[in-house]
Amino acid sequence: MLTRRLLIIAPAVIILILLQSYFWVPSYEQQTRGNPDRLVQYITASAGDASILNPILSADTASSQIQSQVFDSLIDRDKDLHFRGRLALSWDIYEEAFFHMNPTAAVPGLSSSDPESVAGLIRSAAQTPGRWSGAVAESLANIQAVTILPSRTFSATHAFKGPEGAQQVDAQISAPARVRLVLNRVDQDLFKNLEPLLGAEYFSSFPSDAFLSTDVDLPPEQLSVLAESMVPAVEHNPIIVFHLRPGVRFHDGHVFDAGDVKFTYEAIMNPKNLSPRVADYEPVKAVEVIDPLTVKITYKRLYSPAIGTWGMGILPEHLLNPRALREEAERLDKDPATFTLRQSRFGRNPVGCGPFRFTSWKSDQYIRLTRFGDYWEGPPNYTQYAVRIIPDPLTQEMEFYAGTIDSYQVQPHQVARLSEDARFQNFSGISFGYTYIGYNMRRAPFKDPRVRKALGMAIDVDKIIRYVLHGQGERITGPFVKQTGYYNHDISPLPYDPEGALELLESAGWRRNASGWLEKDGRRLAFTLITNSGNQLRQAILAVAQDAWKKIGVDVRTDLLEWSVFIQERVNKLDFDALILGWQMGIDPDLYQIWHSSQTGPYQLNFVGFENKEADDLIIKIRQEYDHRKQVAYCHRLHRIIAEAQPYNFLYVRKWTAVLDKRIVIREQGPDGSPVYRKITPTKTGDYAYDFNKWIKLPGVPVFAQDG
Amino acid sequence: MISFIGRSAVQKMITLFFVSIVSFLIIHLAPGKPSQVDPMNPKFTPEMVERFRSEFHLDKPLTIQYLYFYRDLFTGRTVSWKDNQSVLLKIWERFLNSLPLFIVGTILTWTLSFPVGIRSALQRGGNFDRSSTFLAYLLISIPGFFFAYVLIIFVVTQFQVPVIGMETFGIGSTSPMTRFMDRIWHLLLPSVLGATAGIAVLSRYVRSQMLEVEGQDYVRTARAKGLPPDQVHYKHALRNALLPFVTMFGLILPGLIGGSVITESIFSWPGMGRMAYEAILARDYPVILTVNFISAVLVLIGTFISDLLYLVVDPRIRL
Repeated sequence: MLTRRLLIIAPAVIILILLQSYFWVPSYEQQTRGNPDRLVQYITASAGDASILNPILSADTASSQIQSQVFDSLIDRDKDLHFRGRLALSWDIYEEAFFHMNPTAAVPGLSSSDPESVAGLIRSAAQTPGRWSGAVAESLANIQAVTILPSRTFSATHAFKGPEGAQQVDAQISAPARVRLVLNRVDQDLFKNLEPLLGAEYFSSFPSDAFLSTDVDLPPEQLSVLAESMVPAVEHNPIIVFHLRPGVRFHDGHVFDAGDVKFTYEAIMNPKNLSPRVADYEPVKAVEVIDPLTVKITYKRLYSPAIGTWGMGILPEHLLNPRALREEAERLDKDPATFTLRQSRFGRNPVGCGPFRFTSWKSDQYIRLTRFGDYWEGPPNYTQYAVRIIPDPLTQEMEFYAGTIDSYQVQPHQVARLSEDARFQNFSGISFGYTYIGYNMRRAPFKDPRVRKALGMAIDVDKIIRYVLHGQGERITGPFVKQTGYYNHDISPLPYDPEGALELLESAGWRRNASGWLEKDGRRLAFTLITNSGNQLRQAILAVAQDAWKKIGVDVRTDLLEWSVFIQERVNKLDFDALILGWQMGIDPDLYQIWHSSQTGPYQLNFVGFENKEADDLIIKIRQEYDHRKQVAYCHRLHRIIAEAQPYNFLYVRKWTAVLDKRIVIREQGPDGSPVYRKITPTKTGDYAYDFNKWIKLPGVPVFAQDG
Repeated sequence: MISFIGRSAVQKMITLFFVSIVSFLIIHLAPGKPSQVDPMNPKFTPEMVERFRSEFHLDKPLTIQYLYFYRDLFTGRTVSWKDNQSVLLKIWERFLNSLPLFIVGTILTWTLSFPVGIRSALQRGGNFDRSSTFLAYLLISIPGFFFAYVLIIFVVTQFQVPVIGMETFGIGSTSPMTRFMDRIWHLLLPSVLGATAGIAVLSRYVRSQMLEVEGQDYVRTARAKGLPPDQVHYKHALRNALLPFVTMFGLILPGLIGGSVITESIFSWPGMGRMAYEAILARDYPVILTVNFISAVLVLIGTFISDLLYLVVDPRIRL
């Protein structure tokens, strides 16, 4: 019977074909041990595919992993997280400060306050700073040159939101003469310290409004905002001058120069490109090419995170300038008017000056890079670098055991087992993020810092770390990255002390009633703790906290919400009592968005509503301070203020562990030219891939002298 | 006949129109916005969010957004918000990747289910019937991801060969025949995995349909006039039992674009299901809506085909 036979034979044949293919497949053995090529390839895995390989456009980790190999930046961070020159050989930071002559203020000791005599006064004080005390003397000694800029008149158009929607106003400005001070280093206290010299009111009494006339009548407060932006009493212009490394080439052979730096900046700021990095570069006033190897960046205001922003990959101008884009658009038959960096093929075929050049990208499968022989620091030891996209962690693990992936990010529950495995070398460190319980400080019970502290003391965080995180976490006490100097190690975490918590609550007026619940003025201490669903760690903490708080008589309800509902309906609209969330941090200590009191509105990131005058001050100072030592001091103080106020109960920072094949070692050139091998050692901050370009895989497991 | 096709086409266009509205609304009204527009990143300023919103037309009323989206879709200009690639090209690429999985899986399902189902219907209550019933329920109830893990761990540890992805990573320089066979090998596990669940379900249907038909008068007649049993079962009975499967067969067409999220993620298969899933997570509206629209079209084509197939298999139906 034909039908029957067909129904049985067809699948049998298919299965046979499928099964016989087994004999053709290279086994793991052939791929790894028997294959010398495998030793010069580094293969790693990523859970997600890259989005676009253009450093100014992408914002995801998979893309930046590739970009860090393909592109090089002006600077990066060294082993101790200090800045280190890459494409920049060195850099100077100094400041130009300006102030307008104040015609209404009388300068002590001067009969007339014309620009010449004011400048003369500062000049002579700068030459003899010894006559002044402490900080003032320091600021004066820092002044390198004093010049006078003549008064000027100009007009400007200003757009503003008036009662009838968006409006425009033409302003006529006749600004008085200015004094320009060139400083050896950035000094945020300059004008404060000039006050003893020029009079306490000299800068604050400057009448900006008087120098401005508008064609439309503006409300007075808007007028003064406009006037202050057009004719500011004082202005700080920090300047960074980068001296570039000569003879660096892009992968296509084109020589890298200052024009590429300027172009990268312009590409970020070009609104057509929709770069997610605009905020970093908004404070830049001008980027000037002094000569092909010198570029000068002037900033509008004091903004110390600015230096770190130059860890950004530099784009090749010759491939992406408007002319190149227009030609590409014409070649692809697209409309040149709407053709931007986002549409360019560059995003999938990047060219940079990093250690590896881009070779191929198969969506959702792999991205391959090849060694760049002309890399300025000498080519890496590996000839190939590949990232395989493997979304499933178990699959990644299997591939790692089989040797077709060289590294594996171990999950917390596997650490104990894998760190003892003799086949692998393992590294671990703490991550740049923390998990916390945040309290809505606008709501009744949480206004009192004692309540927040007591709630934190009732939770045994060490137990959470031990059982929920399998020991893969560390306590944290404040908002800075724990490996950096900004973190204040003198602050000890909240102790686990339910008794003490009850005492604290009692001093805040909360007493246990007959049925054991905490009560104040007849109202129970009851609230809802929420977090997002899908994060098992946070869900576990939710249960632990609820249980711990119930034990001391707090009536806690919990709720799990889908991420977007959680963020949009609760966090953004400030509609929550307490929540469990985490922050991912950068190394830079700028905390403005998360902790400044101006950021407490809906849709802003200080959603717990933390407001503290001194903290605000410190946050601004940290932002404006270019001196690392002073910045650290401010950060330590700020850390203490936040830890004392406990707007968050800071819980833990997670530990990561990575395992690598033991055959991967560092190979360097010895003094006599012969290769010297040494073990991979992580930096103090836990970064084991710091020397990646010197890594190589050996055919057998090496034995090092120190191993015995 | 022509009038049936015409009427059916008009009806389906109307349905499609409503589907397009509903799916558009569901996706836009669901909570969550693309990360470019709803960032939890301090670096994203409100101005940038505004710029992205206008770039994505999210600042316009929904009706205008709807018109923009379908205008772009029909002129082939829709681009993904994630990477600015053309959505149709992306879908085509993934479709080609998912296609072999789909074909092998479907052939295995639709061929193996019938002999298994028929045999257990004929030997109702016998050993074969019992064991196949047991196996079928086992396969239906075992979670797909778990079964996949068991299979992977078994094959990798026992046979020491790679099973992940569409081909062995780094196989580039070998002969075309080896590369071809390597691809076939990588098809084995995911397609068998996809087929097992299908076979388990479908063979149950076949069994119950056959049981029903086998009791009919014409089957008894066929048997009574002395036809060989195979001919009775596979010709007289099977033909009549097939009718309900015609509908099901039409509906496998949308499976073409659906793919399997779990299988594709576990096996790192760069297919449709994984792309659609990741697009949903990232709220990449153009990709989600396009996939949605295409699958709606495929469902409608599928039902149309099964309508036509009824004409062929059931002589009672005349249009």
